[in-house]
Amino acid sequence: MTAPNDKSAAMPAGAPGEGQAPKHFVSTAPFDPYSVEALTPEQERYYLAGQWKLMWWKLRRHRIAVISLWVLAILYLMAFLAEPISPYNPNSRHADHIYAPPQQVRFFHEGSFVGPFVYGLKYELNKDTLKREYTSDTTQVHRIRFFCTGEDYSFWGLFTADFHLICPAHGGTLFLLGTDRMGRDMFSRLLAGSRISLTIGFVGVAISFLLGIIIGGLAGYYGGWVDWSVQRTTEVIRSIPHLPLWMALAAALPVTWSPLLIYFGITIILGMIEWTGLARSVRSKLLSLREEDFATAAQLMGASPPRIIGRHLLPSFASHLIASATLAIPNMILGETALSFLGLGLRPPVTSWGVLLSEAQNINVVALYPWLLLPVLPVLITVLAFNFLGDGLRDAADPYK
Amino acid sequence: MISRRETLVSLAALAAAAGPSRLLAQTAGDTAKPPKLIETPMLEPLVKEGKLPPIAKRVPAAPSIVKLEGEKAPGQHGGDLRLLMSKDRDARFVAAYGYARLVCWAPEHELVPDIAEAVEVDEAQKTFTFRLRKGHRWSDGKPFTSEDFRFFWEDMYEHKELARFFGASQLLAGGEKPKVEFPDAQTVRYTWSQPNPHFLPWLASPVNLTIFRPAHYFKKFHAKYADKKRLEKLNDKRNDGWVRKIATENRQARYNLNPNMPTLDPWVPKTEGVAERYEFARNPFYHRIDTNGRQLPYADRAVMVLAESKIIPVKTGAGEVDLQARSIRFDDFPFLRRAADERGFDVRLWKTAKGAQLAIYPNLNCDDPVWKKLLRDVRFRQALSLAINRDEINKIMYVGLAEPGQNTVLSGSPLYKPELRQAHAQFDLVRANRLLDQVGLAKRGSDGQRLLPDGRELELIVEYPAEGTEYVDLMRLVGDTWAKAGLKMYSKAFQRVVLRRRIVSGQSMMSVWEGIDYALIRPGLSPQDFAPTDEAHAQWPRWGQNYQTRGRQGEKPDDPAARELLGLYEAWIEADSRDARRDIWAKVLAIWAEQVFTIGVVGGVLQPVVVDKQLRNVPKEGIYAYDPGSYFGLYKPDTFWFDRTTRVYRKYG
Repeated sequence: MTAPNDKSAAMPAGAPGEGQAPKHFVSTAPFDPYSVEALTPEQERYYLAGQWKLMWWKLRRHRIAVISLWVLAILYLMAFLAEPISPYNPNSRHADHIYAPPQQVRFFHEGSFVGPFVYGLKYELNKDTLKREYTSDTTQVHRIRFFCTGEDYSFWGLFTADFHLICPAHGGTLFLLGTDRMGRDMFSRLLAGSRISLTIGFVGVAISFLLGIIIGGLAGYYGGWVDWSVQRTTEVIRSIPHLPLWMALAAALPVTWSPLLIYFGITIILGMIEWTGLARSVRSKLLSLREEDFATAAQLMGASPPRIIGRHLLPSFASHLIASATLAIPNMILGETALSFLGLGLRPPVTSWGVLLSEAQNINVVALYPWLLLPVLPVLITVLAFNFLGDGLRDAADPYK
Repeated sequence: MISRRETLVSLAALAAAAGPSRLLAQTAGDTAKPPKLIETPMLEPLVKEGKLPPIAKRVPAAPSIVKLEGEKAPGQHGGDLRLLMSKDRDARFVAAYGYARLVCWAPEHELVPDIAEAVEVDEAQKTFTFRLRKGHRWSDGKPFTSEDFRFFWEDMYEHKELARFFGASQLLAGGEKPKVEFPDAQTVRYTWSQPNPHFLPWLASPVNLTIFRPAHYFKKFHAKYADKKRLEKLNDKRNDGWVRKIATENRQARYNLNPNMPTLDPWVPKTEGVAERYEFARNPFYHRIDTNGRQLPYADRAVMVLAESKIIPVKTGAGEVDLQARSIRFDDFPFLRRAADERGFDVRLWKTAKGAQLAIYPNLNCDDPVWKKLLRDVRFRQALSLAINRDEINKIMYVGLAEPGQNTVLSGSPLYKPELRQAHAQFDLVRANRLLDQVGLAKRGSDGQRLLPDGRELELIVEYPAEGTEYVDLMRLVGDTWAKAGLKMYSKAFQRVVLRRRIVSGQSMMSVWEGIDYALIRPGLSPQDFAPTDEAHAQWPRWGQNYQTRGRQGEKPDDPAARELLGLYEAWIEADSRDARRDIWAKVLAIWAEQVFTIGVVGGVLQPVVVDKQLRNVPKEGIYAYDPGSYFGLYKPDTFWFDRTTRVYRKYG
């Protein structure tokens, strides 16, 4: 702790004059015994700030974490507003534009500025290679429309609307990231996929958190046989090979379940497996914290165990929990991606990044239609952003250090 | 195929010689005198060392002389024919490609004698006489004679302990076994009291379902011939060790998998046990030669390398193979075509002969009584078919190059009529909805989807084998248009074997499979796949089981149309002329078109065939079919040869 800088004005600073008896001085100011320790407004703000505020300040100084936070905020906003942002419905097929490459957005046509537009696509089947070939038709200038009306969609399944942020020109197309083997717009599919892929992390982590805190809390607080059995259970769960377990559980989910239920099924499966690590850290923290005086005090005052755990012990290391949660989310996202890639997780028609990637796993895509591999990019960005943010949070988690 | 007009080769000569009976004989074999034989370079050292007899003693006195004309030409010995397969059980495809049979299918849809020098068939198709080649030997040099047939017939097929392993229905005509005679070492005769038109096509099938086995090899394990002590070694807990041994050996003989067993195929397996790479070396006693006197096969070895089926297109594109069609699909064509010039191979597009690339099979024997009633209603099946947008599917999945239509006869067959393929195959939601309303599905739930007559939600569950994205894409496209007709569809993938079991047991209500195996129908080809005759038919497994087991299992067909098809099939067996068969076929196809027992989507999808630029004699255009055809077997891969004199530019390697 740095010592406060003593420049307090209340201290008499008079130096005795030469040969003069010091002049008797009586201060008329009211007596303030704390004047010595008074703080400047800045100091006051700093010293009296709560734990969360300090954490936030510290985090703000972590440049990469802040950038990551912005990136994630934008991604989540896009996921939330996926339907109005995307120009097409993610499942609508364009039979005339199968495997169309990304259309480049341009601003100048023949030397003059026209604003954002794309050239039309000219389709030709190559009779020799049987490849669908598309060329830009520079005679067709399709200006991108903004804040426009296009295909109908149902926003979060709540109401139907047709407002879009961007739309293709009337009679034109707008495939910013190309189309897939059924002529579906990849950009729209990527946005639709982000909703599932980004939220599966939260839901999964929430479940594993709940389980981890409750089970780990019980084990840490009570110790003894409760602790022992929880420890052995986590060991058993951790030693189960994940892949076969997922395969079995995925096979057990009935076909007639709606995609949404399957989605929850998968998150629950992921959450049920991931809680063990968290339970362990909660347990070890509680084991040390329950010996502290304030815990004993609360006990003596007759607080119930849930209250002691919830009100006294958990807040003492909540910041750690948040940091580890942030680091757990990318694992969940990767878990979903891997599961769906292997065909065990989500299945079409649900769209997630993992589903999009699993559809891209063949040699033709790599060799001929590389834009179908683009879903790798958002996965990469999201996972990195979460990791950087988690890093920043961990540094900020203990502001008193 | 087996009628006179189609198969007679040299009419005048045979009519005089054979009188009322017909003779299948090879064009080349009966005219040209054998050319001077040329020793095979690969075997020359062995001949010099005395380990092998010289070529003149290895080839039968009357070899099968293969004429290579047109785009084919006689070639040179040497080289390894490299193939890629995905599973070790696929080693059997080398036997299918080798395709040496008593009688073989020729590309013109006729049966020609191959291992047999000649086959005589009487007009009623009751008596079949095979004349073997003098001096023909097994791959170990032992003579191949009628003794090998006798052994199979008397000591295997008719043996009381072994009989249960040889229950092929094609050896029975009207439930009766044939009378088999062995007049001399080169003659075998099978006589039935009733016509058996399935006998020769069965012998010509891709699996080596022969009626003979190498007697000298099998006798080593046979209780009647081998000494007791040796046989006892084969026993474990039970005393029938030799019985099981013979059954196993026989199974291996069908697919030519056992390196120790003599064979008549062009290539002899050399790799024992399970491996990543299987080698097959030339059979020094093979019976076919070319017109220059070179013994076939041209390629010294056939080498089969295993790779994951998803990797096979990649490896093929990298030029690691000389001849490949398996595990390559139509949508791999652009990639392969692009790689072709750099890696020095050609990609050809062959026709497939399946009635439909994929077809939907409603299970008329499904358990659920409400569904069973619905699926048996022809209007419901027609409505399902009408609610499929085949043109869109063709455009999206096959760049518009396939033939949309039902799972039935393809153009190119003499029985083809456009209206057969197009019956109930236009996309017509209005008619589909009207038919669905009529069959008692007029009520709809809150989400606009139809309800079953008993009030349940209508949920069509379509099951398909978990193999590749083709099934998935198809079901998505079909599901979309079915939803527009108010039919909610779910699809689920299963392992092939599991799915088969689900269908036979009635758990599955609808499944997706490939269509009719061979739809370039000739009147002489059996209509067995159009009638409930086989448990493997996914639309009526229990009726087929009933026919196969002669009423012991399954259920009797109780649908009048299915019964009529069965009657027509039996009439086809009895029919004695090509015209009669043709009429029967026309009736079968008409019923099939009206009843929509299977719902075809598109047919005639092209099959990419990758051929190394140095490999000669592979046809530019061909038909890629399993039975009849044996895939490449129809075009005699033993005549494919490497022209090492033409230089091929390869960018890499």
